[in-house]
Amino acid sequence: MKKIAKSIFHTSGEIAKTRTELTVSADRLDSSPDRMDELRREMTGVLAKYINIENDSIRICITFARDSIPESGAVRKRGISDVKTIQIK
Amino acid sequence: MSEVIVITSGKGGVGKTTSTANIGAGLARLNKKVVLVDTDIGLRNLDVVMGLENRIIYNLVDVIEGNCRIRQALIRDRHYSNLYLLPSAQTRDKSAVSPEQMIKLADTLKQTFDYIIMDCPAGIEQGFRNAIAAADRAIVVTTPEVSAIRDADRIIGLLESSGIRKIDLIINRIRMDMVRRGEMMSVEDVLDILSVNLIGAVPDEESVVIAANHGDPVLGSDTVSGRAYLNISRRILGEAVPLEHLEEHTSLFHRIAGMLGVK
Repeated sequence: MKKIAKSIFHTSGEIAKTRTELTVSADRLDSSPDRMDELRREMTGVLAKYINIENDSIRICITFARDSIPESGAVRKRGISDVKTIQIK
Repeated sequence: MSEVIVITSGKGGVGKTTSTANIGAGLARLNKKVVLVDTDIGLRNLDVVMGLENRIIYNLVDVIEGNCRIRQALIRDRHYSNLYLLPSAQTRDKSAVSPEQMIKLADTLKQTFDYIIMDCPAGIEQGFRNAIAAADRAIVVTTPEVSAIRDADRIIGLLESSGIRKIDLIINRIRMDMVRRGEMMSVEDVLDILSVNLIGAVPDEESVVIAANHGDPVLGSDTVSGRAYLNISRRILGEAVPLEHLEEHTSLFHRIAGMLGVK
């Protein structure tokens, strides 16, 4: 995963941002950063079949439904059911 | 109406305690009656950051166990007469206090103070639960690093599921020279990832370390971080203060040298 990040981006700040995005969304979905990267690559692959795109210009944004807080106040991990939108830029 | 604010981060070492001390000083400077509660039982350090380590007689656990009255445990700040510290116990552990006891304590403090600020320990265990129990709102401190942002996101999730609706973010230790070179995430980068309101950004300056060495707040000094903390305090009071520039005014020479990476 690091290798891919390095080949696509140039500065360490950009690499840090990508790594943070992957870890944070993996945590939110109870998944792993590698699986998130895989998701990104597969989605890019699917898109590339239909439209002419450059692999490194794709950014996937997952929005979570913020108001899905249980009334009981119990600590609950957010999962796929809380995903509101998946946006591809 | 008094307010209980918890200052938290998840990850340790991002500047929770320094932020607590400076926000406390800021609110006191803005004429509010403020008490800072060190909730890190067993690892106290807010007293040291405020330079009050030699004045501790009673502590948080003494108050909760009824060994003394709250008034006896409160220590008045050296700089602001309307700022007080309730120090933590050094020889006890987190289990000495329960969330219910913290709520009761906060209710008592509300009778005297406008702002009760809880300095939260690192982690998400008992100490965290104690610190957030009575909180009306939270300020999450992070730095522009992968590990700190990841933990901040987790903490934001936990705060939300605990029913704390008002959550603000401080991005601490920003180095603008590194951001310019693309070697550090910018304020905007962090906000892209953590969808939460930014209440302030503080640069990584020597002045913060020097002030802490003396046990003084950096707030009140003529530095970018001092001004940043004062503006954060104003925003806590609800004032609309625009985000300040995080750089000292430098000469053209310094700017060019900075661009070339020469220091």
